[in-house]
Amino acid sequence: MKGSVIKYEKDDIDTDVILPGPYLKIHDYKELAKHAMEGLDKDFHSKVKEGDFIVAGRNFGCGSSREHAPIALSYSGLKAVLALSFARIFYRNAVDGAFLLPIEIDENSYKDISEGDNLEIDTAKNEIKNLTKSKTYPMKPFPELIGKIVAAGGLFNYKP
Amino acid sequence: MSRTLFEKIWDSHVVVQQDDGPSLLYVDRHLVHEVTSPQAFDGLRMNKRIVRRTDLTFATMDHNVPTTDRSLPIVDQISSRQIQVLEKNCKDFGIELFDIHSPNQGIVHVIGPELGITLPGTTIVCGDSHTSTHGAFGSLAFGIGTSDVEHVLATQCVWMEKPTTFEIKVEGKRKNPHAITAKDIILSIIRQIGTAGGTGTIIEYRGGTISDLTMEQRMTICNMSIEAGARAGLVAPDEKTFEFLRGKKYVPKNYDELVNYWRENLKSDAGAHFDKSFTLYADKISPQVSWGTNPAMTTDVTGTVPFPEEYSKGNVDEEKAALKALQYMGLKPGTQITDISLDRVFIGSCTNSRLEDLIEASKLIKGKKISSKVRAMVVPGSQLVKRQAEQLGLDKIFKDAGFEWRESGCSMCLGMNPDILASGERCASTSNRNFEGRQGAGGRTHLVSPIMAAAAALAGHFVDVRELDLN
Repeated sequence: MKGSVIKYEKDDIDTDVILPGPYLKIHDYKELAKHAMEGLDKDFHSKVKEGDFIVAGRNFGCGSSREHAPIALSYSGLKAVLALSFARIFYRNAVDGAFLLPIEIDENSYKDISEGDNLEIDTAKNEIKNLTKSKTYPMKPFPELIGKIVAAGGLFNYKP
Repeated sequence: MSRTLFEKIWDSHVVVQQDDGPSLLYVDRHLVHEVTSPQAFDGLRMNKRIVRRTDLTFATMDHNVPTTDRSLPIVDQISSRQIQVLEKNCKDFGIELFDIHSPNQGIVHVIGPELGITLPGTTIVCGDSHTSTHGAFGSLAFGIGTSDVEHVLATQCVWMEKPTTFEIKVEGKRKNPHAITAKDIILSIIRQIGTAGGTGTIIEYRGGTISDLTMEQRMTICNMSIEAGARAGLVAPDEKTFEFLRGKKYVPKNYDELVNYWRENLKSDAGAHFDKSFTLYADKISPQVSWGTNPAMTTDVTGTVPFPEEYSKGNVDEEKAALKALQYMGLKPGTQITDISLDRVFIGSCTNSRLEDLIEASKLIKGKKISSKVRAMVVPGSQLVKRQAEQLGLDKIFKDAGFEWRESGCSMCLGMNPDILASGERCASTSNRNFEGRQGAGGRTHLVSPIMAAAAALAGHFVDVRELDLN
């Protein structure tokens, strides 16, 4: 999985800025995507490209249980969020629908990765290559079942 | 082996236990609303599945319903459509719905307890993060996303990684419980443990102060557990809990038998181990007002807007966050909290829209007028709360003072319906989230108790409510 980085050096990026409340009425996922990150970054929709990653601080996705948040990010083309930590419901929603990979990274990687860096994520090896900076970072491995659900493409495709 | 209350509820609901990873939990009650359910019902249809336990599933519409005259058609076509979709889904799948014209309509976390759907020792899920509210009754209640809503509709079960346990003791007698409210207790806790302080845990609130609280006050506390990142909050049920629920519409017929069982079993054993512990001394806290853009960015009403470098205690990321929050909030460091002027006041939301909240606020408002600079609104949590308040004449007290008296719903807590702040407007709000744009793009939210909101409406700025005559 290769893509370039959109970085927000910020903790507590909440679901209300990822997808503001007024858009929760929208049923069409592509339409939702047009409003992804609107509460924090009005330019997100115009700059995000298919395959991109967000890099952010602690407690990403805190707040509401709206699955619209990972859905909007996913339909924007985003493939993963790399953060220092995630709020639980967001993490779970991202995995359940296989919308994007919530990847926990460490403080050094977070500091080192810059906006626009090209990354290659290898979930089998649990590592992240920074192709721009020729460095490799560790990622926290997914717990076994989460790994299986991710591999199956979401909760409803997973057969125990 | 001694177990915590959470572990007892967990153990009695595990369907499949895995050696490693999540367990499959049985769900006793599933609450459904219009915003997080449409895709779940679509999924059921697509896969030709039915709702497994329609008798354990209850629906209402609260998030985007208008709070104006309900005999009129809904102006917002997209909201109207979302409401119609829930009506159709409930009809097609055989689910009981408290619709916009039902006498039982209201915020899902207000109507669950008042109808007796919420019961001690049960597991309750809902596609809403403030499901933690129901933990006030000693039920394990947590928010889920839409995929899990679909999973629960189809199977009545949910996968869950076993959370760890977090004991929060609240001790000490409050000198003035009308001024230092449950809202001030939970804001003080979040202010100290942080927005991620409870991540991955189930909080059990314990101690003398918690025992002294009414059920409505316990709901306010459990409601905001999610703002500390916790999965759920719990209070062990006691006689107050049992009396609150007695005679409610949906409680089982063998209620007394159940009470005997709950009384015996639903508490943490002496010596039970908690993974984390924290103590708040309620006799030491002041009325709280949030100044920033998350609920931990809160201070005493007698305090000042903090300087980012002081607030952050040397943490560069926190300093940046505080600086950005102050820019968004349009506040200067060093400003007295009581000098902050307000444009709007909102009394409502699943945190503070119950009868007791309205009674407390009305006592201060009675016979007075709100500031000419302020637009103020009361949105009762449910139709029942509204009727009960009107029987007590509270509607008249609020209206005479200059408040708008509205129909029940989530309203200005999350800005999905027309009740929103204009950009730059500043609001004293009894809700639970002061995130950027939460109450409308560019809107500035200060989280406070109902009594503080009422006092702010009268004065046009925050006041130390301890100095007012609240008895």
